[in-house]
Amino acid sequence: MKRKILMLFLSTFLLVAHTIAQQITVTGKVTSADDKLGVPGASVKIKGTSSGVQTNLDGAYSIKVAKGEVLVFSYIGFVTQEKTVGSAAVIDAVLATDSKGLSEVVVTALGIKRDKRTLTYSVQTVKGDDLRDANQSNIINGLQGQIAGAQITSSGGSPGLPSEIILRGVSSLTGDNQPLMIVDGIRVSNASSDGTINRLADFNPADIESISVLKGAAAAALYGIDAASGAIIITTKKGKEGKMQSNLSYKSFIETVGRTPEQQKIYTSGTGSGFDESSISSWGRKYRSDELIYNNIDRFFKTGVVHDVNFNATGGAEKFNYYMSGNYNNGSSIIPNTETDKFSMLIKGSAQLAKNLELNASANYIKNNIKEGIVGGSSGGYANGIYMYPLRYDINRYQYENGNPYYEYYENSGSEETARISPMWGVMRNPRNTGTQRIVVNGELAYKANDWINLSFRSGQDYYNQEFSNITVPGTPGSYMKDGRLYQTKGNYKYQTNIFNSTFDRNIIKDLRATLILGASSEYFEASTNSFTGTGFIVPDIYSVNNIPATNLITAEGLRKRQRYAVYGDFKLDYKNMLSFGITGRNDWSSTLPINARSFYSPSFSGSFTFSELFENKDSWFGKLRASYAKVGKDAPIYATYTTLSPYYGIGGGYQNNPTIGGNTNLVAETTREKEFGVEFRLFKSRLNIEAAYYDKESHDQIVTARVPLPTGFVNQTFNAGKLRNRGFELSLTGIPVKTKDFTWSATLNTWINRSKMLEFPGQIEVFPYTFGNPYNAAKAASMLNMPVLGIVGTDYLKNDDGYTVIGGDGYPVINSANSAQYIGNREPKLNFGFLNRFNYKDFSLSFLWDFRFGGDVYNATRLGMTSRGISKEVGDWRDQSFTFNGVVLQDDGSYVKNTKQVSLDYKYFVENYAVTGTNFIETVNWARVRYITLAYSLPKKYTDRLKLARVGIELSAQNPILITNYSGGDPEVNSAGPNAGGGGGSTMGVDYGAIPLSRSYSIGISVGF
Amino acid sequence: MKNIFKLIPVLLIVILTSCSKNLDINIDPKQPVTTAPNLRLPAILGNMAYHLYSHARFSSYHSFYITSRYNTSKVEALWNYNDVTRLGAWRWHYFDVGSNCLGMIERAEVDGTYNYRGVGKIMLAFSYLTATDSFGDMPYKEAYKGIYYPKYDTQEVVYAEIAKLLNDGIADLNKSNASDPTMNGTADLIYQGDLNKWKAFAEAVKARLLLHTANFQNGYDAVLSAVNTSLSGFSDAVFKYPTTPTKDWERNMWGASIARPEWNFAEIVNMLNNSVSTDLFMSYMTVGEPGLKFDPRLFKLTTPGVKNTYYGAKASEGLVVPNWPVPIPPADPVPPVMDDFANLYNGHWTADNSPFPYILKEELYFIKAEAAFYKADHATAFDAYKEGIKLNMQRLGVAESEITAYLASSKIKQDAASLEISDIMVQKYIALYLQAETWVDLRRYGYNAKAYPGIYYPAKASSEWAGKWIQRLPYDNQTEYIYNPQEMARLGATARNWVFTPVWWADKSTLKN
Repeated sequence: MKRKILMLFLSTFLLVAHTIAQQITVTGKVTSADDKLGVPGASVKIKGTSSGVQTNLDGAYSIKVAKGEVLVFSYIGFVTQEKTVGSAAVIDAVLATDSKGLSEVVVTALGIKRDKRTLTYSVQTVKGDDLRDANQSNIINGLQGQIAGAQITSSGGSPGLPSEIILRGVSSLTGDNQPLMIVDGIRVSNASSDGTINRLADFNPADIESISVLKGAAAAALYGIDAASGAIIITTKKGKEGKMQSNLSYKSFIETVGRTPEQQKIYTSGTGSGFDESSISSWGRKYRSDELIYNNIDRFFKTGVVHDVNFNATGGAEKFNYYMSGNYNNGSSIIPNTETDKFSMLIKGSAQLAKNLELNASANYIKNNIKEGIVGGSSGGYANGIYMYPLRYDINRYQYENGNPYYEYYENSGSEETARISPMWGVMRNPRNTGTQRIVVNGELAYKANDWINLSFRSGQDYYNQEFSNITVPGTPGSYMKDGRLYQTKGNYKYQTNIFNSTFDRNIIKDLRATLILGASSEYFEASTNSFTGTGFIVPDIYSVNNIPATNLITAEGLRKRQRYAVYGDFKLDYKNMLSFGITGRNDWSSTLPINARSFYSPSFSGSFTFSELFENKDSWFGKLRASYAKVGKDAPIYATYTTLSPYYGIGGGYQNNPTIGGNTNLVAETTREKEFGVEFRLFKSRLNIEAAYYDKESHDQIVTARVPLPTGFVNQTFNAGKLRNRGFELSLTGIPVKTKDFTWSATLNTWINRSKMLEFPGQIEVFPYTFGNPYNAAKAASMLNMPVLGIVGTDYLKNDDGYTVIGGDGYPVINSANSAQYIGNREPKLNFGFLNRFNYKDFSLSFLWDFRFGGDVYNATRLGMTSRGISKEVGDWRDQSFTFNGVVLQDDGSYVKNTKQVSLDYKYFVENYAVTGTNFIETVNWARVRYITLAYSLPKKYTDRLKLARVGIELSAQNPILITNYSGGDPEVNSAGPNAGGGGGSTMGVDYGAIPLSRSYSIGISVGF
Repeated sequence: MKNIFKLIPVLLIVILTSCSKNLDINIDPKQPVTTAPNLRLPAILGNMAYHLYSHARFSSYHSFYITSRYNTSKVEALWNYNDVTRLGAWRWHYFDVGSNCLGMIERAEVDGTYNYRGVGKIMLAFSYLTATDSFGDMPYKEAYKGIYYPKYDTQEVVYAEIAKLLNDGIADLNKSNASDPTMNGTADLIYQGDLNKWKAFAEAVKARLLLHTANFQNGYDAVLSAVNTSLSGFSDAVFKYPTTPTKDWERNMWGASIARPEWNFAEIVNMLNNSVSTDLFMSYMTVGEPGLKFDPRLFKLTTPGVKNTYYGAKASEGLVVPNWPVPIPPADPVPPVMDDFANLYNGHWTADNSPFPYILKEELYFIKAEAAFYKADHATAFDAYKEGIKLNMQRLGVAESEITAYLASSKIKQDAASLEISDIMVQKYIALYLQAETWVDLRRYGYNAKAYPGIYYPAKASSEWAGKWIQRLPYDNQTEYIYNPQEMARLGATARNWVFTPVWWADKSTLKN
């Protein structure tokens, strides 16, 4: 069916494809004057028409052309060359390096394309090919390591879990810290409501031409009130003029479980001494040799298989071109009963309606259905049930043949009932389903008034619906779930964007170029949702609201709307490519702020100085200094200014105050001010590019939604909270260390550090814990005044003035119980490296990405939980061993002497001392990991010609194949509650709470071009 | 061409003017901002039952009604509140009851009507009293002002404000007239709109309040005056759940279904399935006479366990029963199990459909008895004492013949002259089974055996408390300690043994020795 639709669309385009008059065929090779190597991908066009071809990997081309016509050879970084077609059938072109050298156009805010040389702020670009080499279906994951300053963490190895991207540190304590997501000029949703996958993952990485990352406030300043967390500007592929080219590829992935936490296999169920069948803890006696022990972690995780088919076609004629693509992705996962099913189709076209009027339009349809076996709470904890399940039970035994639940332990004394079942029951019987259908449409009308005035109007809409359901079937243990429970949400979401832009660009006097952009935009968001919660299915196996007694059903409807308007201007002066100065201003009006705070102004000032222009040999290198300042903002969540009433479900009904939000009419926009200084070099004929940036960013009046003191009469409220700072340094080195005729090695090294500090809290707050980042009281994800923002507070052992741990008279370390909110960890890495390499040898290419992280703490709450339950490996290693704690004992005279008392590390110690001391579970983590290795081979032209194919490629790839780390748990890339932290917001990066490890996967792919 | 440029500013002006209207969309169109007071009262009344329960859920253990089967349970056995994240009670007062009362009062003030306004003030006062008796000092003057670090008023100030609220409430009710909106059984689930009963209830709250301080403020006359005024028109204030509830919102929180209507109830679900009666409670319920082994109310307050035996466990020690039968050797000792105890569910107050008491009429009689006793009016005290017992037994459905037999038993004083304070307090203890008010009485009397014969310090209460008795509930750990650290420090609430510091009326009480 899907294929039929695909073919239908394809043939529609084929029908309008035109034919070119048959004349002669000219072939030839385009080489570089520099190294005499072929230039692949160079454009060969017939002057005055829009038809043309591209050179292949060897730089060869073939084109049909009439005698007397002129061929235009061009490629980025080279001087364009023209050759008139005579009688020769072979026309080679040797392209000289562009004297300016280094022209590179990057996409900046609002889709404005700018010359990177005169850019006054930092923009990092990821090419679509580099993204695709990562073989990640979630675009955010594909960016890992490719951007200096982007901290990307996924919430785990289940396909429906979201990933979080944070640029240059967090700016908000709650809510979304993620950058604005723009696809082809319009805002798209990256939400992950109900803990589902972040919705940017809907988009097909195969369609992406490039991604521009606007990390700093100055770069994103034209987005004004949306710019506090930066912006990710995604540009999809465009239609290419000329003969239709199409490509079909198939990839197959095998997913295996990555690094998992280790368990002890010595002690059976119990609570401290003998065997106790009723206990879920593994603190019993030692297993007898005749007792079976199941390796439940291995038994639980499966091998997943994913199939991915991509098709795209592009082509065009003089006045229009098109691009279309289709993707079908279906697969299982390392988690049983987990499945993804995704289909997407993108159609883009562009037409020259009149001499100066161009129309661009696109439509993207996506269907993304995900079924997940593991369902977690809003604080994460997905895999805890698996890691803590006693090893004397077989995790795969969960039901009888007739489907009835198999309780491993059941007790009903009349006054109470206890039932225990394998977590596999929940996985197999109570999965959660998320279904999304999405349509993104986008149209742009561009009018070129004259050679220096351009006007454009863009209108687009991202519309999707999301259905989420979580059924708990009857028979599932739990007091109110015995008869089953249903939770469903259905929502329609839309973002509508209208943008008007006018661009004026001309030399006002010689050598002084002025660019002015004036524009206005409107953005409307609407979410209409329905939710259904009910208990007790009438008929046991129909899981629908129809099958729940009406009296047990609670339904709710939500309608959230937001309107924003903005006008903005951007004025830039360039003097001789040497000095540039830019100033932007934008004023936003947002409906979510109180009337008197509704208007928000975001200015930016930036300048650059290309000092290499001062030198004689300025054409062979490039050096630039830049500086910028910007103030940008963030508005409030929807409906945070008024207190509304919510239905009271108890007897008598009516209404009561809504606990989820208490109105705050004093809200103001959050502002972020950022200074940035940068330097850029291009050396050795552009073989080495260096880009470095230092930033200092301060966020004021953070908008926080949190539980507030109850004497206010509110439970949760949105308020402005203090001030925090991020400072950091980013360095990006891109180079081509080796380049010979057959062999090229290109590499990019991204490195960054970020240091944050909480500068101010409102009122008297000193420590601010994140609701969804505190699985246990021993340690909590929190921010503390004057400390790095993504902190961990908790308990530590008592230290004496010299810093030695104080040991009690009983020989055990003494917990500092007077202060249970000490700053005991900083979740931000100290230093990050992403090292991207690409080797090309003849028709082979090999690319891989090393990702290094140094420092930064992980809160290993998984181990804490497992130790409390007696199942962690350390319990097996240390339980009941004699041990002398390193520390000092307080004497009666106030002095300290070294502890010499030997004690037993018994149950009581582990549970009452070790497991309640947060510092025992804070680990400073380093890692070296290979995110991907991809080996590709393109069949040489002589074979493809024989096959009558344009291209044939084969690819072998591995994702996350290597992980070297000092972390004691599973995979240390953790983010327990995901980017929206269970809806409560705040980052839980670095909190490992029953995390599902990232999968290690291997893929094989074949791609054929026609 | 040039016209287009002329159009731009015009276009912008048109857009901007129409824009400001489109920006006024930040009020949820699916939820009301205010409603008529009759639509707010049911939530206030239902939430008040939850509020009372949220105290009783914990105080029942501190009052020796019940004890956990686990001698390691942190709050119930060890009296350790230091790891509690949320307790519920703080929120149930300030938000679920209090803020809704204020919302209803505000609306009634805007409408210029008095009936709901008066009831709102009385309910707010009752909620404040319930809260401060567990928490002690708390924000009153700076509460509901949007201040994140309000000043905590002393309990003395809070008490004065509660008394004022009650008087204001009564005054409002006196001003009510025919133009007020209808208040009937659909909104007023307690008194079906009978304002005189609400006034009597306000007097009952006042009597309860005055009793707490009467011993050191020489206030027994005022107590007697309030209690007599109240009794002249009082009708039981109980929140009724449907006979056959179908969802958790319709179930009593003490019920066997362990109702948890929403996530915010998680911290206060009952644990009666893991709890048993204490030996102290059983000693009060044991008559030990031929044909009258137990107080007949025992079979109404609890249901028989599997073995139909009625043991009582030592508070805090788990399933430890004093004088547990020693088996004849060589039989192995069999420790007590849950089945040896009464089932705490499905008693009069502990079924899914049980009513939840605000204030019962018998409490007023015991208040009267106690006040009269200290005024040396033993005759009045004795009459009220007997009246209270009788009323309670009738409420629980004890047969008249059994009531007569019990009243004639050795458990009951037969004349005014022999009446002791412990007689009144023990009977009040039984009558207020599982109610948080009992914990107030215990603390007023400093857990004194003169008032509560046989009371003892629980063996498993952590040695860290150095033998101190539990005196209060902690403030909300998740908000007050974060937003208001200086006030917490000033009060001393940051100390690990904060809950062992007596509240004002317990500190001042002269009844402790």
